[in-house]
Amino acid sequence: MYKKGLLYALMGTVALVMFMSAGQVMGQDEDYPQEPIIFTKPVKAVIFDHKSHIDNGLDCDSCHDDPFEMAAGTAEENADFNMKSLYQGKYCGTCHDGESAFASNTRCTLCHIGVKGYNRLMGTSGEGEGHH
Amino acid sequence: MKEQRSTKPDFVTDEERREFLKLGLKITGVMAGGTVLSLMPISEKDAAAELTLAGYDNTPYKPHYCMVIRQNDCVDCEKCKEACVKTNHVPEYGFRTTILEREATDNEGKKFPVFMPVLCNHCLNPPCVRVCPTRATTKDPKTGIVVMHVEKCIGCKTCMAACPYNARYYNEEKKAIDKCNFCWDTRLSKGEKLTACAAACPAHVRVFGDLSDHNSEVWNLIHQPDKAVWVLRPETGAKPCIFYMND
Repeated sequence: MYKKGLLYALMGTVALVMFMSAGQVMGQDEDYPQEPIIFTKPVKAVIFDHKSHIDNGLDCDSCHDDPFEMAAGTAEENADFNMKSLYQGKYCGTCHDGESAFASNTRCTLCHIGVKGYNRLMGTSGEGEGHH
Repeated sequence: MKEQRSTKPDFVTDEERREFLKLGLKITGVMAGGTVLSLMPISEKDAAAELTLAGYDNTPYKPHYCMVIRQNDCVDCEKCKEACVKTNHVPEYGFRTTILEREATDNEGKKFPVFMPVLCNHCLNPPCVRVCPTRATTKDPKTGIVVMHVEKCIGCKTCMAACPYNARYYNEEKKAIDKCNFCWDTRLSKGEKLTACAAACPAHVRVFGDLSDHNSEVWNLIHQPDKAVWVLRPETGAKPCIFYMND
């Protein structure tokens, strides 16, 4: 009886360890938002895709918590979240400086998807939107 | 069929003239039916002055209002549209300016959108003015702005059909056609220097100004020998006054 209990306890521990380590592997690979982040301030709209940045070899530490806190919408609350700050090396400009990644004052519409891109993602027609 | 013109420097096309000016050479003569050109080296500053697009210099308008669109900086934030709607009381179903979108591919094969702001082109030969049966739309003799005289408009929409730029709509409240007038009644006549859209643009895409003033930003933008400048639908012969370029 005693031996059987020990065996179960051992099996349980092994299972728990395997489960935890599996979780950790999952965490490294996929524990980031799968849906793109859409910024709407100060202009509508800028798209940020976690996956394409991770595919380029970045990990969580590269951008969190500096220059970006790990909570969507935080940066947008700052008055200096604009292109001028990017050119000074803040926010996206930390890497998008023309050396680590393409410069912030080039290839505008790769990130700026516009009101049209925003409406497409949100599934709204957009005609008439923002008119009032 | 190519247009044959007699005046010597105009015999070559604007494009050819521009190509030579990029090299710092001015065409001073055309001989032997265009096969021999007489060229003269000139300074960069003089080259800019020579770039004047055929037909756009010596217009009677002063100021000659026009707009230069620095297209690749447009990110479709549509703040221009919002400002226009607010300033000119454009109804929800209407528009005085729009942003068109097309998809392009960069040299890495990545797709990206290209946004193109469109508004009334305030043409030198406006087709809308020519077709209006009641002279409800005219080209202002002082500023070159294509204006509506709402009280004369019978709403026949012939101008809408004639416009190469789809820049007109029928306003149900006014019972007349409405269109961009460079904010003449709402801003310029009150002393403002810019249209609402140009003032609202955060990326300086819409540059508004006086083409008759050779010190103006608009004139200087479109007179850079190394920059391509284009207009929409030049083949209509309307001579539009909205110029497009990349920064």
